[in-house]
Order: sequence, then C-alpha cells, then structure tokens
Amino acid sequence: MSKLKVLSGAPNEIVMERVFDAPRSLVIKAMTTPELIKRWLGGVRTTVLTAEVDYRVGGSYRYVFRTHDGYQFQFTGVYREVSDERVVHTEKMDDNPGEAVVTTRLTEANGKTTLHMVMAFDTDEVRDMVFGTGMADGAGESYDKLDELLAQS
Amino acid sequence: MTPARLDATFAALADPTRRAILARLAKGDASVMELAEPFAMSQPAISKHLKVLERAGLISRGRDAQRRPCRLEARPLRDINLWIERYREFWEASFDALDDVLEELKQQAAAPRRKKEKS
Repeated sequence: MSKLKVLSGAPNEIVMERVFDAPRSLVIKAMTTPELIKRWLGGVRTTVLTAEVDYRVGGSYRYVFRTHDGYQFQFTGVYREVSDERVVHTEKMDDNPGEAVVTTRLTEANGKTTLHMVMAFDTDEVRDMVFGTGMADGAGESYDKLDELLAQS
Repeated sequence: MTPARLDATFAALADPTRRAILARLAKGDASVMELAEPFAMSQPAISKHLKVLERAGLISRGRDAQRRPCRLEARPLRDINLWIERYREFWEASFDALDDVLEELKQQAAAPRRKKEKS
C-alpha cells in the first residue's frame, strides 16, 4: 500500500500526508538543501537539472526538471512563511499565469516526522496542469464562461 | 474535456449546495422536486443550481417534459481525478526517494557519535 495519503479538501485543493522515519530537522535539511533536493525531488525517473533555493521569507526558489522521456519543465516560487512547524510558498509551473499556494506542516513525534501538505490551486493553475502549456488561445473564452457561471450562481 | 469545461466544473463544485446535490444524485436519478425537498430551498433556486451543474457537464436532464429527472455524469469528475492522480504520482515518487536520502542523513548524524563511543 502507498505510504502517501491523499485527503479530500476543497475542490481546488490537494491535501497530502506522509510520515518520514526521521526527525524534523533532517526533513527540513533535505527539503531546502539544493544538493539533497536534486537527489529526491521528482523521484528516480525525473532529473533535477537546477535547484536554487533561498530559504527565507521573501526568498525564491527555482527547480528545473527533465523527465525520463525528455520533457523539461520548471517550478518557481517564493517563500511566504518559514518556520520549523509551517512553511508556506507559492508554486508556479513554467510561465503559466496561475500559481498554487502550498502550505506544509511538519510535526515530529518519536523521531518520526509527519508532513501535511495542502496545495491550493487557482483555476489558471488547474487548467495549465491538466492541459499543459500552449493553451493561451482558449483562455479568453474560458474566462467568459467562468464569469457567466459565477454571475448566475 | 475543454479548458472552459474544466473551469466550469471547478466553479460548479465550489458551492456546497451543488456538491450536496451531486452526492444525492450519486445514489440515483431525481426530479427537481425530489431534490428541493431535503435542501429547504425553492424549486427555482434548485433549478438555478441544476443549470450550473448541467453547463459544467456534471449532470444531464431527462427528456420527460414533466419530470426531467437529473442524472449524475461521471466524466468531468473523472478528468479531475486523473489530474490529481498525476500530481499524486509526482509526490509519491519524490517522497519514496526522500526516504533514502533521510536514511543516509540519519546515518551521517549517528556516525560521529559511534566514533566517540569507540575512543
């Protein structure tokens, strides 16, 4: 069975929980040190080509990935909150207009760390994730539709 | 599913009454009257919600002019699930690799202590 739990949240949110058999200080070290990030982020089939991390409030990060089948993409964002218990950062894929706000909570008990991650996407981000890039042509039309719907409800 | 349709799906799902309507329809088709009952809402108010759900492709309406029963359409929800699944896969692979990195960091942290014990 998968160690990763996906919990239900608001419709535009993905909530995940995962327990790591390590103290919180090491989890934070692995998540914020570029040489270490390169070794785990994306998993074994995705290579991290670049990892730049300025881990402080207002600091930014940039990860460039290449998948095993040659597809290249990047995540960029800014840290809004930084503490041992709670980290909040934005996440933008490539040059897409939308961005997600990711809230990570880290709780340590008996030498194990529980990571609770909430990714809140705006509609632009969702569309980009689902349809990839190059969907700009359809954007105007979809905004109109959305406005229409919101006005009715 | 078109991008506009996906936006519509999310907009439709953002409302708790509409989610409750979908939950009710997951148990079986229902008419507007049957749907209005448990929500303590007028039929026109429910009809408005149904229109939004219908445009989002989340429900379809029967042809029977009198009853026009509502039916849950699974496709848009499946598309969203697919997208969530892709995201889940990315993080699952990442975290499995992170386990190995953490194991190594733990051993490194323990190593100097072991040396001290020896001397």
